[in-house]
Amino acid sequence: MYEKHLMICGATGCLSSGSQKVADALIEELDKRGIRDKYRLVMGGCPGFCEVGPIIVIYPDEVFYCRLEPKDMIEMVEKHLVGGEIVEKLLYKGPDVEAPARFYDTIPFYAKQRFNVLHNSGIIDPEDIDQYIMRGGYRAFTRSLEMDRLAICEEVKKAGLRGRGGGGFPTGMKWEFSHKAPGTKKYVVCNADEGDPGAFMDRSILEGDPHAILEGMLICAWAIGADEGYIYCRAEYPLAIARLKIAIEQAEEYGLLGKNILGYDFNFKMKIKEGAGAFVCGEETALLASIEGKRGMPRPRPPFPAIAGLFGKPTVLNNVETFANVPLIMKKGGLEEYVKVGTDGSKGTKVFALAGKIRNTGLCEVPMGITVREIIYDVGGGIKGGRDFKAVQAGGPSGGCIPKDLLDLPIDYDSLTKAGAIMGSGGLVVMDDRTCMVDLAHYFLGFTQKESCGKCTPCREGTKRMLEILSRITEGEGKTEDLDTLDSLAFSIKDSALCGLGQTCPNPVLSTIRYFRDEYEEHINDKFCRAGACKKLFNYVIDTENCTGCRACVRVCPVDAIKGEKKEPHEIIQDLCTRCGSCLEKCRQDCIMITRVGREADVSN
Amino acid sequence: MEKFIDHCCSKCTHTKEESCKDFVVCCVEGPICHEDETCTAKRKKIIDKVKLNEKFVIS
Repeated sequence: MYEKHLMICGATGCLSSGSQKVADALIEELDKRGIRDKYRLVMGGCPGFCEVGPIIVIYPDEVFYCRLEPKDMIEMVEKHLVGGEIVEKLLYKGPDVEAPARFYDTIPFYAKQRFNVLHNSGIIDPEDIDQYIMRGGYRAFTRSLEMDRLAICEEVKKAGLRGRGGGGFPTGMKWEFSHKAPGTKKYVVCNADEGDPGAFMDRSILEGDPHAILEGMLICAWAIGADEGYIYCRAEYPLAIARLKIAIEQAEEYGLLGKNILGYDFNFKMKIKEGAGAFVCGEETALLASIEGKRGMPRPRPPFPAIAGLFGKPTVLNNVETFANVPLIMKKGGLEEYVKVGTDGSKGTKVFALAGKIRNTGLCEVPMGITVREIIYDVGGGIKGGRDFKAVQAGGPSGGCIPKDLLDLPIDYDSLTKAGAIMGSGGLVVMDDRTCMVDLAHYFLGFTQKESCGKCTPCREGTKRMLEILSRITEGEGKTEDLDTLDSLAFSIKDSALCGLGQTCPNPVLSTIRYFRDEYEEHINDKFCRAGACKKLFNYVIDTENCTGCRACVRVCPVDAIKGEKKEPHEIIQDLCTRCGSCLEKCRQDCIMITRVGREADVSN
Repeated sequence: MEKFIDHCCSKCTHTKEESCKDFVVCCVEGPICHEDETCTAKRKKIIDKVKLNEKFVIS
């Protein structure tokens, strides 16, 4: 028996901030003292709070250590593991807590979260099926095996589960279509081709609780009568793929995959298909084509995959988070609990990835219906550097922005759609007052334009024309008629593009025009970018009244464009300045100002 | 018995080829098909080794 369990975040976020080195240092210190056998070390799933990684949570003491470095391990072993004393300096500290916070229940980031889908993440060893079973795993599946197949579809419908991948289509209804579709060969496919910039919800679920996906797929397979399943996962997720492979092998070893599963007349085999990273392969028909070995391109629907999908057979295709919700609904008493959370039209929870100019970047799971304000300020801890919130991009490149005026908007499928955004897969990119909304639209449209598969003309040509216009605007060559042209092109693409990605790709442009039209007009008419993002449309100028001549800006300027003696106000030589922003970031007196080109300073940074 | 897939005694017949319908419940609450305190203890030992606290196991 172990004295303590040390759950080290082994998800990609913490690994990239050095959790493997921390783990190595911990092992080294334990080995040095000859006490390693007393402790169980698990490189587990993600506790969500990526901003403060690497993280180690110690049980049964319930202590959350964060921002760890390898050198901290000596003290942690000496004081905590050997001495039984909490190392206060390694606890969570921040402006949102009065005293160092010891565990999840006292850290504000977790206060409004509700762990349903992520209930095992960071708690179990994702590479150990036994622990998944101990946490109630595969019970929902065994219960489903005793049920009528159509009754399972009905139960998922009653739960109000909607597809978490973007569209929000009722999952139970999709299952029912496939169940009723004629034919003996059917497929279940999991869409793990998470491609939105800034989104990593699915990766985290796959890395932290892979058996939950397998169980959701098994329930679906039984419900519709499928005997084969695929998980389509992007190759850029090597850890997720490795853990999925282990999970599949274990499930096969345990008789939970294979032939005559648990003594029932039910065979199911599972394969992983690694995607090469094309964004369009997140679209269901393109994904299916890719599995079939064809070029990943969408096809017109109908027929929908539920009727004629993979290799022309009825196929249920859901995303990772959708499948991870299924065991929660199908376990004994699960439905009753599930429908208590969320809104009338959007039940359950949603996992979001918080990225951008937010203090607490990371992953959170919140009840549907929570407001944007609660996510940004209560969970996310507000805007980095205490700056003003400007907008949040919801739903990735297919989504739209939600401005400050809509901070109290509840986050559910219907409210987001009304506001011009979409739930998408759950990426939330937060922007502060230094973000240019024209530049943002240009960035996202540039992304979708590059990723356009080129099959249909509206998307292939339309996005290119829109991008040309946006490029002109950001370079100071916008014309007054440009906004009408963008609007017209956007609606043409929405109405006529072949697939969901094409139909939604104008959303960032439309929503930024809707909520930030004045910024577009300022770019076009005044040739000015007040956020200081479009380099041809502003100058940096030093506020000579407040400049102390500290030379911090002079030292960081990569092109020697700042002149001035020590303790004397400095000056920026505009002809040399490349507008890289290094001086703005470095100035401690906030005296670098963003001004119109060729004019006096009139807008503070 | 190191893992749930291991047989607690000769009375357990679960294999991946001939799998038992009670297998999943049996892992945590078993044995189901017979009564034997030693077999119960073997399962408990697997659980006790990895459970983080008393709330860890969900039946």
